[in-house]
Amino acid sequence: MKFKDYYEILGVPRDATQDDIKRAYRKLARKYHPDVSKVADAETRFKELGEAYAVLKDPEKHAAYDQMGSRWKAGQDFQPPPGWDAGFEFSGRDFEAAPGRDQSEFFEALFGRRAGPGQRSHMHAQGQDHHAKVMIDLADAYRGAQRSISLRMPVLDAQGQVTMQERTLDVSIPKEIRAGQHLRLAGQGGPGLGKGPAGDLYLEIAFNPHPQFRTDGRDVYLDLPLAPWEAALGASIAAPTPVGPVQLTIPPNSAAGRQLRLKGRGIPGTPPGDLYVVLKMVLPPAENESAREAYRTMAKAFDFNPRTHEKG
Amino acid sequence: MQKENITVIQGSIVEEEVLFTLVELCQACSVEEEHVLAWVFEGVLEPIGESPQEWRFKGESLRRARMAWRLSHDLDINPPGVALALDLLDEIATLRARLQRAGIS
Repeated sequence: MKFKDYYEILGVPRDATQDDIKRAYRKLARKYHPDVSKVADAETRFKELGEAYAVLKDPEKHAAYDQMGSRWKAGQDFQPPPGWDAGFEFSGRDFEAAPGRDQSEFFEALFGRRAGPGQRSHMHAQGQDHHAKVMIDLADAYRGAQRSISLRMPVLDAQGQVTMQERTLDVSIPKEIRAGQHLRLAGQGGPGLGKGPAGDLYLEIAFNPHPQFRTDGRDVYLDLPLAPWEAALGASIAAPTPVGPVQLTIPPNSAAGRQLRLKGRGIPGTPPGDLYVVLKMVLPPAENESAREAYRTMAKAFDFNPRTHEKG
Repeated sequence: MQKENITVIQGSIVEEEVLFTLVELCQACSVEEEHVLAWVFEGVLEPIGESPQEWRFKGESLRRARMAWRLSHDLDINPPGVALALDLLDEIATLRARLQRAGIS
């Protein structure tokens, strides 16, 4: 287990006031909130922030954390010294780690694991609905697929302790599903209390990044590189689609950036999306004499000044 | 750690096939009714129907309500602030999609 320097995470000095800590947390939380930020590790950063803030904003935990002293450095191997928390009373060890949805091992070693959801007052209640994210391939949205999904979820055992239980679900991914949509699996969420029914499980769908295809709703975009003569003279080219190549006719005099729409070749649905092929021009390098000669011949053949087409 | 296996499960696509009642939406997002009422009042969510008992929320409301909850809970934003943040995030998403279509990002 690595030591975590909560001051460093929040970017505040060790003698920061509560106001400073709150201000620093709020500022960073807005910056790294996973719904707002596009930074790759936003979610991890945000969890760390939540954890750091949960400790430093709480006078008891703050004092206990400081008690361990400043001799630890972030990333150092760490075991809490025995009896380190003697004399501190954490309010029942059942606090909620601010926004932290799951805490680090480090946090749990110091402050214990957050207790599960409170028992509801009535004896028969529907179980909680759970949420998880699932990555699928774009081709799965065209053809449908079956995916095995491993989920870890906290479960209260007979002693009232929270344990992590792993479940593997074989889920049928329906075709026509798109990134950002949710799949509801009835009765696969948290168990019900008493005779209450189980909750539902919601899977949020995202596409694995693809080197060629981009999506926008049901529409799919593909960049297709062309040689200048293919664009100028027209050509018949095998273009990839998520479910296999199609033969594509490039009309003569196609300009770079031109979009060819393949109607209905996007993600299926009612109506299906379209596949847009965006033409890109790739110039062959003039690396040898015959290539240079070809460019010179072109220069002679055309009375062409590309700057005259520029618009302010 | 226990393991258990369950056979193939069919689901329904929320955005295409599901309408939520107020109670169902609250259950799906694990939020209290008062929050959803406040978001409807601010126009964050736009259910069909007159009274809260008759309200039906479209499938997209799930994503929106969950975001609204995370923003208000994590950043301590009040309902008008959540409404503004979601509108701006929508606008950013639209602009990003436009860039992506043009192959710029």
